[in-house]
Amino acid sequence: MAAETITYLEAIRLAMRDAMADDDRVFLIGEDVGHFGGPFGVSTGLFDRFGASRVIDTPISEEGFVGAAFGAAWMGERPIVELQFADFVTCPFDAIVTVGAKTHWRNGIALPVVIRLPSGGGVRGGPFHASSPEGWFVGVAGLKVVCPGTVDDAYGLLRAAVEDDDPVLFFEHKGLYRRLRGIAPPPSHRVPIGRAAIARSGTDATVVTYGSGVDLALRVADALADVASIEVIDLRTIWPVDADTVLASVARTSRALVLQEASRSTGAGDHVVSLIAREAFASLDAPIAVVAPPDTPVPYAPELEDAYLPSAASLRSALEALLAW
Amino acid sequence: MPGDPATAVVLPTTDDPSVSAERRIELFRVVLTHRVMEERIMTLYKQGRIAGSVYTGRGQEAVGAGAGLALGADDVCAPLNREMSCHIARGVEPAHIFRNYLGRATGPTRGRDGNMHFGVPERGVFPLVSMLGDLVPVVVGAALAFKRRGEARVALTFFGDGAFNCGDVHEGLNLAGVLNVPVVFVAQSNRVAYSTRTEMAMRNPNLSERIEGGYAIPCARVDGTDAIAVHVAVRNAVERARAGGGPQAIEALTVRLDGHAAHDDGRYMDRDLIAEYGTRRDPVERLAMRLVLDGVPRAEVDAVRAGVIAAVAGALAEAESAPAPDPADLANGVYASPLS
Repeated sequence: MAAETITYLEAIRLAMRDAMADDDRVFLIGEDVGHFGGPFGVSTGLFDRFGASRVIDTPISEEGFVGAAFGAAWMGERPIVELQFADFVTCPFDAIVTVGAKTHWRNGIALPVVIRLPSGGGVRGGPFHASSPEGWFVGVAGLKVVCPGTVDDAYGLLRAAVEDDDPVLFFEHKGLYRRLRGIAPPPSHRVPIGRAAIARSGTDATVVTYGSGVDLALRVADALADVASIEVIDLRTIWPVDADTVLASVARTSRALVLQEASRSTGAGDHVVSLIAREAFASLDAPIAVVAPPDTPVPYAPELEDAYLPSAASLRSALEALLAW
Repeated sequence: MPGDPATAVVLPTTDDPSVSAERRIELFRVVLTHRVMEERIMTLYKQGRIAGSVYTGRGQEAVGAGAGLALGADDVCAPLNREMSCHIARGVEPAHIFRNYLGRATGPTRGRDGNMHFGVPERGVFPLVSMLGDLVPVVVGAALAFKRRGEARVALTFFGDGAFNCGDVHEGLNLAGVLNVPVVFVAQSNRVAYSTRTEMAMRNPNLSERIEGGYAIPCARVDGTDAIAVHVAVRNAVERARAGGGPQAIEALTVRLDGHAAHDDGRYMDRDLIAEYGTRRDPVERLAMRLVLDGVPRAEVDAVRAGVIAAVAGALAEAESAPAPDPADLANGVYASPLS
């Protein structure tokens, strides 16, 4: 019998279900997460299984319920917070960077909260429902930022995030929710926070990416297989970044391209560019390339959004230019 | 004759029979300790021995004291920077507080933060953050944890009439009501936010009316310079919250007697209010008057004063001898689970 496959979305649901079954301290809180199952149906069935004290519906109060999650964590709970869209992280930004990020460093109080943020475009969501705002948190001491790009990592990173003693921002890509399928991971599966993965080995150039970029990079690398050997590094955790894996890869290939869906000057991209420029300059045979959307909000009209997002064509032509050096 | 209410310059506190003689003396000790510590801190600041700035709670000491002593040992709280007395009431040692002001390695934040910006986890005290209103949702979440686990514990925080214009406060109040959690909010209406008088910042400055009417949370309005009145109101609120009555609130009316911070002389304040609250309604002297009216011998009241002054001096000396923090330690503790 073939192994059961699940979607990226189902992997997230399964990780929440298993974490809640394993640990009474874990609960889910957010808008419409209860009987309705969340705007994307990620928490479907959890309310029926765990009840209203484990799956808690809230008013439209991101500052309120994100702050409350930190307070519950102070008292030893391990809340998972769902924001309806990652874009809405503007509202609880203060709670995250002021209370969440600084409290352990200041006062030794651990705040184990996972905030799930459905991010990303390709869904015609426009400026307020398709953003990739993960870069706002790159560099914030005290936070950990993860961006799964596979079904396996969606499960394993979420389980690891719930067990981590720090606030973890879990950016789950909406465009991958139902597009990616994979074998259901076993309940013991964990992906360590802070470790990148070599998603594809290669010798001629390194693509450093995360989230939706992983699947795109793998497809383009395969398409270029006859002309070049492309290595794909999936950062998985974009902050703090796994410098060792990135630098070791660039040292091997001598060419680096950073691919991200976040607009050009946000996201993890420039952080990685800076890292490579500082630490691996002598290894490089070409300037570091970047493939990312322009510095605008995410547009709505299909003609605009398709042009805005990185594509197989734009990545391929950037890689060809990089390889031509 | 001294202590005669008819001729007293100072208005005595209320005489609530539910507050024991011992508790009255304890309130006096806590309120006075707060006052004396801040007087020393202001002097140290002017001498350049405290870096940054200093924010005092002069005139508001009774609120933190009355509230802090109303909590049980397992309850938790999040005091702000006018509520040093709440820390003292929770048993936080004055030397520990001084070590934070002095930025010492053995202080509660190990020199990483200053003045009243610290918590004391072992005393159930969460650290203040300067973004006013942030701690309202935090204590709601702590209370949610108590409710989920069926624990008879209560979480309490404070906010001022200034912070009442912040969205976090209102989201927290509403969420507390919706979740029906055991939380107590103590609003300090001290009439001013930095230099902006409350009447310039809100059309309806009656916070108790707005909390009761807007959020269906009971909110008693008390004289915040009367430590016994505050204590009784908060104690009753804590009992109702603990018994499953859901969120509770108290509005304590005070006047901030100093400027916002040490650099600010508060010249924009209403001088008549300052005169009234700095004399007849001085929270320390109101309690002292109460004790005298209760029949506590003058000598005993004076002995409490002398004891507090000596204890504060000793605590400061202890804190000043504590080591300075080591810059090499700076990155330790950024994460509770460090990445390998």
